[in-house]
Amino acid sequence: MSDEAFGADDPGDASGADDPGDAAGVDDAGDASGAADAAVLDSLRLADSSLPVGTDSVSYGIEQFVAADRVTDADDLAALLGSVLRRQLGPGDLVALRAAHEGAADGDLAAVTAADRRLDAATLPAEFRESATRTGGRLLRLQSDLRDDEFVTEYAALADAGEVPGAYPAVLGAVAARAGVGQRRACLVACQEFTTAVVGAAQRLLAFGHTDAQRVVVDCQPAMVEAVETSAGRSLADLTMFTPLVDVLAADHERADRRLFVS
Amino acid sequence: MASGPARRTGDPAAADDSEQPDCAGDEDPAGTAGGGDARRSGSADGTASGVDDPPHPAFAEYATESVPQAPVGAAGKDGRLDLAFARAGGETRLVRDFARVPFHVSGTLGHDPHPASETVYVQSPSGGVAQGDRHTVTVSVGANAVAHVSTGSATKVLSMERNYAAADLALSVAAGGHLDYVPAPTILHEGARLCQDVTVDLAPTASAVVGEVLVPGRLARGERFDFDRYRSTCEVRVDGEVRVADATHLDPGDADPAAPGVMGEFAVLGTLYVLAPDADAPSLSDRLHERVTAAAARDASETSERGEPAESDGASAESDAETVRAGATALPNATGVLVRALGHRADPVTHALRAAWDGARTDLLGVGAPADRRQ
Repeated sequence: MSDEAFGADDPGDASGADDPGDAAGVDDAGDASGAADAAVLDSLRLADSSLPVGTDSVSYGIEQFVAADRVTDADDLAALLGSVLRRQLGPGDLVALRAAHEGAADGDLAAVTAADRRLDAATLPAEFRESATRTGGRLLRLQSDLRDDEFVTEYAALADAGEVPGAYPAVLGAVAARAGVGQRRACLVACQEFTTAVVGAAQRLLAFGHTDAQRVVVDCQPAMVEAVETSAGRSLADLTMFTPLVDVLAADHERADRRLFVS
Repeated sequence: MASGPARRTGDPAAADDSEQPDCAGDEDPAGTAGGGDARRSGSADGTASGVDDPPHPAFAEYATESVPQAPVGAAGKDGRLDLAFARAGGETRLVRDFARVPFHVSGTLGHDPHPASETVYVQSPSGGVAQGDRHTVTVSVGANAVAHVSTGSATKVLSMERNYAAADLALSVAAGGHLDYVPAPTILHEGARLCQDVTVDLAPTASAVVGEVLVPGRLARGERFDFDRYRSTCEVRVDGEVRVADATHLDPGDADPAAPGVMGEFAVLGTLYVLAPDADAPSLSDRLHERVTAAAARDASETSERGEPAESDGASAESDAETVRAGATALPNATGVLVRALGHRADPVTHALRAAWDGARTDLLGVGAPADRRQ
């Protein structure tokens, strides 16, 4: 794949060009066409924690950090989330998301599944793969129920048959492209969704209030933007997620007797 | 990894990935890229070529820096090691052992508890990996052969002021064969820059244990994460299909290695890939997790018997030099098991990984890991 082919990475982000259908326009620069509004609304829907894909059952390893007293308050949480966003999502999940987005915008299912498989091969903790596959599968089924889009239906069928992992970031990239949501915005959706899911999990594990929870989300915004920048212009062969302490704690979490979250 | 290592292992099916930005671009024997001949000979700027063309983007800037003091060491900059093992009756034989400076193979050892195994310790008399070095290592293990390759001493990646060092490692194991590639630790001196690509090509019935202990400096003298950049990838293919793609990327000047979730309070990173597409990965993962965490706990409790604190986790453990945090998980695509261990010093991490290696060998071959002949 061409590293330069992700056309939508500049901050202005005219990523409406990725729209497979009629919609166009700049997805965040004041273009108020109906299609652009629909894409914005869909991106908000995809980032919403009420999206029924099961992200409320995952903590992305944070549960074990709490159990090991490595995360004891909102500040610890913000610091850990910042490094996971920068070191795992940026050079990993979002690179696959972008590749899947590009493939889906081009109607190229093989490109989407290549991104999906590569991300799965690069995600070493078993429980992270399992939860990505579970939530990704639900998102695919949901989207194929909601939309009459042969592309999504076909992808969902492959995932259901176990032919492809259906990892959440790849699925999100694909369905976002099909909904006219630009690539950069889709990356931001992934970061927002990840952050709010983890903060929600942490609120159930640690005693901190809603204001603190929102403060963590806001504190993570620079890391989200950094992650999106990091992912730009990378090829699938250059997934370099590197969070070894997360790997080690996830290995403990897999075997924890009592746990609230599946990852 | 790109076509370079795949071609060398003679696996055409594995060479299909395009545009991989690894350290090892396409082989360019004709030197068609401008200046290729000069670089290949190592004479113009002291940089041996063939492994780094084009360089990984993260190393591109270093690549523009010529290496000034080339000629003396130039012969050793294009290091090459080719080892091939084949099964012959009840034993494994080393059937090819081409070594170009700085690599040296002095012979084989027969101390492995596995009756059919052959062991090679690779010596590197040059003192370390220097700027401009481009090393290529291939190890191929034939059908039903059992081989163990290690190094005689730690690999020191020396301080660099210009350019960088690159290493390409291509391991392959044919049907029914087994390879243990578990070298002594890699030590990254102040200012070191290393770009390394490891590929492992396995037949579905083959197995391999590939390990690395990464030490971020001469810790005893207070050198710690003072290197410039370390990037290493490990790609595992079974029947030519990518099953696992791991990467380690440390760039201490730009991204704090001690960030939570990355290295935390730890310095030394140990990784053991137990690759066995045939094995029941989840149960092997559970057994290796038990082995590696028990070894880590034993080290810590031995310390506590000496009257030192032995907490196994949390920031309070920072002072305990023996503490190791380790775990195992099943690799993607039922390829085997990943074991990771983090610690403050190389020895306890090596010890923990060794326990996992011993467990893996017992599971896969019915005998434990061979004794360490370095000690």
